[in-house]
Amino acid sequence: MNGKRSFGGGGRGKAGQGQQGKDGQRRPMFRRRKVCKFCADKIDDINYKDVKLLMPFVPERAKILPRRISGTCAMHQRKLRTALMRARQLALIPYTAE
Amino acid sequence: MARKYELVYVVSPDATDAQITDLHAQVESIAQRLNGQIEKTDNWGRRKLAYEIGPHKEGTYVLEVINGDGELMKEIDRRFKVTDLIIRHMIVRVDEEQSVVERTRSKRTENTRRRRVARGLPPDRQPGEGQRGDVDDDRDDRFELNEGLER
Repeated sequence: MNGKRSFGGGGRGKAGQGQQGKDGQRRPMFRRRKVCKFCADKIDDINYKDVKLLMPFVPERAKILPRRISGTCAMHQRKLRTALMRARQLALIPYTAE
Repeated sequence: MARKYELVYVVSPDATDAQITDLHAQVESIAQRLNGQIEKTDNWGRRKLAYEIGPHKEGTYVLEVINGDGELMKEIDRRFKVTDLIIRHMIVRVDEEQSVVERTRSKRTENTRRRRVARGLPPDRQPGEGQRGDVDDDRDDRFELNEGLER
């Protein structure tokens, strides 16, 4: 690590730290920094009618994908949640997988 | 003060087209009576439901955008609750959210234009500029891009 810094897990989390010293476990964990999909694509309006947009945030078990996995920012996760709940009411998205 | 509402209802799959237009006419007459108007009607057609509602596995979705006040929507809600043909409906107020969305959008374009001018560029994005086009929304390569780079 000759002064070289990973630019992987910046931002939240301390993915890049605590890896020097120990020789036993080389190959430190790298995490690519997650980007909020809605910020990056500049989607302002998370609409409950847009099932195609919402589907990636509903994994098999039909629970809402948590922020720590999807990387969505807090504001957009809130909006996403309301949109998903509305879509569920209208049976566009399942509450649960059977 | 006029508010804007979205009304989505799911009609039972056994309903005929005539019955669906009849429901629409009902909504329209209620709206007229309580001085609101229908801005848009959109029939999404028959869709599979994500879960079974009673005996139904599919339904016909209809969206109506209505300008009017709360009393009007209350009346529609009451009416739809007792209509057997409708297996699910939802009313959402949208005008406030829409104005917020509009504001952020205009603010952002304004900001980018200002920044571009400050950098000595023309205010609007030119065709062929930037690393990737604005239109390739099919695939999201953001998550694969830096894959082999860091090791």
